Amino acid sequence: MILKDILGRMHTRRGWATFGALALVLLVLLPLLNSAMTPGSALHLPDHLVRLLGKFCCFAIAAVALDLIWGFAGILSLGHGVFFALGGYAMGMYLLLGIRGQGVYRSNLPDFMVFLDWKELPWFWHGFDNFFFALFAALWVPGLLAFAFGYFAFRSRIRGVYFSIITQALTYALMLLFFRNDTGLGGNNGLTDFKHIYGYPLALPSTQLALYVITAGVLLIAYLLCRYIVTAKVGRVLRAVRDEENRVMFCGYDPRAYKLFVWTFSAVLCGLAGALYVPQVGIINPSELQPSNSIEMAIWTAVGGRGTLVGAALGAFLVNGTKSWFTGALPEAWLYVLGAMFILVTLFLPQGVIGLGTRLLAQAKATRKAGAA
Amino acid sequence: MTTSVTSASSLPDAEEEPPTLRKEEPTKEEPTKEEPAAKEERKSKRPGSGSRSRRPGRAVDQERLNTLVGGRKVSLCVDGVSVSFDGFRALNDLTLVLDAGELRCLIGPNGAGKTTLMDVITGKTAPDEGSVYLVGHGRDLVGLAEHDIARLGICRKFQRPTVFLGHTVFENLELAMAGNRSVWRSLFGRITPAESAAIDAALETIALTEQRDRRAGELSHGQKQWLEIGMLLVQNPRVLLVDEPVAGMTHAETERTAELLVSLAGERTVVVVEHDMDFVRKIAKKVTVLHEGSVLAEGTLDEVQADPKVVEVYLGAPHADG
Repeated sequence: MILKDILGRMHTRRGWATFGALALVLLVLLPLLNSAMTPGSALHLPDHLVRLLGKFCCFAIAAVALDLIWGFAGILSLGHGVFFALGGYAMGMYLLLGIRGQGVYRSNLPDFMVFLDWKELPWFWHGFDNFFFALFAALWVPGLLAFAFGYFAFRSRIRGVYFSIITQALTYALMLLFFRNDTGLGGNNGLTDFKHIYGYPLALPSTQLALYVITAGVLLIAYLLCRYIVTAKVGRVLRAVRDEENRVMFCGYDPRAYKLFVWTFSAVLCGLAGALYVPQVGIINPSELQPSNSIEMAIWTAVGGRGTLVGAALGAFLVNGTKSWFTGALPEAWLYVLGAMFILVTLFLPQGVIGLGTRLLAQAKATRKAGAA
Repeated sequence: MTTSVTSASSLPDAEEEPPTLRKEEPTKEEPTKEEPAAKEERKSKRPGSGSRSRRPGRAVDQERLNTLVGGRKVSLCVDGVSVSFDGFRALNDLTLVLDAGELRCLIGPNGAGKTTLMDVITGKTAPDEGSVYLVGHGRDLVGLAEHDIARLGICRKFQRPTVFLGHTVFENLELAMAGNRSVWRSLFGRITPAESAAIDAALETIALTEQRDRRAGELSHGQKQWLEIGMLLVQNPRVLLVDEPVAGMTHAETERTAELLVSLAGERTVVVVEHDMDFVRKIAKKVTVLHEGSVLAEGTLDEVQADPKVVEVYLGAPHADG
């Protein structure tokens, strides 16, 4: 009964049917096209595309997380790359400890530590040889940082563009920190040369396919969680905070608590996306912390359609799909294309691609009605 | 990490505040407001107001309270409150005692401190001196955060109708509804039949039943004012602070608002700030005149209007509707 209410609140029947169909395509059809079809046939999904799709799914999770706070609570973070990278580093530490003794120096320490002439593992590396410890760290480290950052920022009533600028500063500061060799996370080169995850060799296409399926599944679950949040009363309070924060306070709500909750949740999701990303691309380094990376996340969300969740995911696929094509065909043009996309969407499609889609659908419906009458 | 955040966080406050406040304050009750939202935001960012709001309120000085109350049934006392914005004294040792269930009108020329007084009571502005006591609550309200004061049952209607424009009328009332306002409850709780019935009753009272599922942004100005009053109703307040409730209302709407406010008093204490003297005459039993941040006169409207001090003040400011 309660479950039925909640499901009905989250989506209409048709919405759930669409969601189910999408889940089937992502979790069943695409994997089958890769594994059941013979390579070379027209329907076969090549291995490199599986990797690419897995990567895009990670970006889509980050975009949905960003949309949750930007689209619904009006908090524009230009530093979500921080949480993504922290999740990625946590997973990277696990993967790197997995090749102890198999590195270039055959040492029990990761190669870069041998190179730096370190004799033992720094304290914060302990425990990361356990997969679940690392996975858990990929959630709580970004979560804790977000909580601390948000606690001070929201308590000081920092809003709007000031908040965005500080998040940019945060990601920049962390990038500088992670570039240092003394930080103990591989410095400039980051962590790479991974061999296996949970015992499965990363080089095998079947491992990569499994990683893709897991990531797609996490994306779908992340979407449902966010959808649950925005359709619960929390979502209505958050939208109210976005539109009229003073009124919310005088209604007896503490906006800081609400912001802090959704901000931390978003960071945790982003950390999870980062943790899934690293085994699929095989490297994590401080370039993930570049301020431009975080800005790009905001562009995915804006292009797809802010405040819709689905739009954010779609935007991540669209922009990154275009990016893959352009960096192959016309690499020097990509940044111009990205900028142009952002400007065009801001000027002409305030609701993004999703907004355009719903508008066209409504128009088609109206003309059909007019034709029938 | 933390140090970089805190040092950066003080930037917007420190840079923005002092000059704008000085310019803003003397004209702050002008009936035509330019960008009240921006103004409110600046004011709420007063340096220190954030940190002050976390200090728990002082215990009530019971002896002092007894002298103020003097055996009457009192709901709210404002005791010796002073507020200054960079040298401009918005409130000057102001003391005001509100009886339980009374309807009090606050009038006064522009800049007399009417809105600042409401800001102090609701916790938006921290006073330099003085206390605010809610009878029955053991602590000074000064120092409590806005949402804590609201939860104690002191509710406020702004000058400009502030409702949630993107939400439906029903959702507006749902958000205002008294009850547990924690994140946890909002995440997993569901609206109870009793709450739903209370909202329907409020919709009836404010004559918006048919607009239940419309977005508040689509309502007329008068309807928005009413919706905001409805939001106060479902908050189940003990003290209602109403700032210029009939601004921009039609004649008929004004009539209905007057009836509603009068009917609310009795169970609750209602304080109305209003420039429209006809409206004040309609609803007020007792009127307090503020001038330059302190109480100038108190009594029935006729008494007050006959008071030579009041006449002088209003003649000195002929643009006010006095």
